[in-house]
Amino acid sequence: MDALVQILFFVVLLILGYFWGRYFEKRHYKSILRREKKTLNIPIVNFGAKQSLIDVQEAALFAGSVVISIDYFKMISAAFRNLVGGRVTVYESLLDRGRREALLRMKEDAIKWGANQILNVRLETATIGGSSGNNSGPGSIEVIAYGTGVK
Amino acid sequence: MKYIPKKIPEGINVTSRHPLLNFAYLLGTVVAVSIFIFVVLGFVAEWLVIRVSPETETQIGDMLVQPALDKEITDDKRIQYIEELLNSLLIPGETTRLPLQVHLINNDVINAAITVGGHVLVHTALLETVKSENELALVLGHELGHFQAHDPLKSLGRSLVFLTVSSILGVGMSQSGGLPKIIPLTSELTNLNYSRIQERAADIYGFNRVVKHYGHGGHSLDFFERLAKGESKLQKVSQYFLTHPLSQDRINDLNAEAAKQGWKMEEEVTPLPQWLHCSNMKPCEQAE
Ligand SMILES: [Zn+2]
Repeated sequence: MDALVQILFFVVLLILGYFWGRYFEKRHYKSILRREKKTLNIPIVNFGAKQSLIDVQEAALFAGSVVISIDYFKMISAAFRNLVGGRVTVYESLLDRGRREALLRMKEDAIKWGANQILNVRLETATIGGSSGNNSGPGSIEVIAYGTGVK
Repeated sequence: MKYIPKKIPEGINVTSRHPLLNFAYLLGTVVAVSIFIFVVLGFVAEWLVIRVSPETETQIGDMLVQPALDKEITDDKRIQYIEELLNSLLIPGETTRLPLQVHLINNDVINAAITVGGHVLVHTALLETVKSENELALVLGHELGHFQAHDPLKSLGRSLVFLTVSSILGVGMSQSGGLPKIIPLTSELTNLNYSRIQERAADIYGFNRVVKHYGHGGHSLDFFERLAKGESKLQKVSQYFLTHPLSQDRINDLNAEAAKQGWKMEEEVTPLPQWLHCSNMKPCEQAE
């Protein structure tokens, strides 16, 4: 009886996780695609250490960061993947969303300031909760994008 | 140089495989592999476990039986009676690998069991419910059959495999946790789970010994028939049904066996000693 309740609980969480996760992911991608189109006119450029920089009037640092939590369905899928091995495809979309959202937040901030180019953008990720330490709840990822906006 | 924005290509970093398909594949693989390991290791464990020395079995048994003994009744003449009845069921020349120890447990759930190490647990409720010695002898003979077939040891071996496999799965899963602990693992060790085949073999063994002892099989099935018909209070016997799912099928099986072997089924009943339901078999008020 007790086992049955636990299994039921598990299945309900799994189904809820799947549908909520899918819904939010779809919505997020819609927003990402729309905003990427809008900010496409501002180029992101990398300069090497010995390359001479372009002439600019003003420069400032911009950072965008985002934290995205995994859902229960993704977590269980990944747990099974741990046993089987191979590519953890369920996490790919999670990280993809994180990177693009962080870049967008940085870019939007820079555009508001009046930037016409963003130089030397870097990305960093970190995990929060979940697998780090003994906390066995679902974890989250943080993605930070930072770069120099110039005008 | 002028910057001309281009459309960003989509779907490079995300595999387009459907998450449900991916999940089904993973679940299927994990379940199939676990079952395979469980079955193979289960047979290995059974094979190993019946080669355990009697001394080791005694040690294991003493350890495992402890929790079941907190309501044990000691210094009771009934224990001696049950012990004698149990040993009289062994046919001449047949021995048990360990001396059998009868424990009388004060418990109102009808039950009898034999554990690793030859501990026979008899609940007082069983003594209150049986109506003839033939009935009691069949219950004891059934348990004896489990012991002679090493069933408690095999069950323990399988439980150990089960624990091992599930803890391996648990370790593999621990990185994200959250999986339900479907089985209360620790109690799994002392549970005696026998297969249908093992139960049937124990039935036949017990019945055979009862017939050898009394010269006939009459009245020995009455107790099981009463249980199968649900004449006793259902809650109290439910435990017995859980560990010994006794269906009419099995009673029919035993009757068929008797017919096949030409065993007599209509003979005189052997009465129980008086006051078997009372402590020390001294006259008492029937506890109702
Ligand atoms: Zn049995």
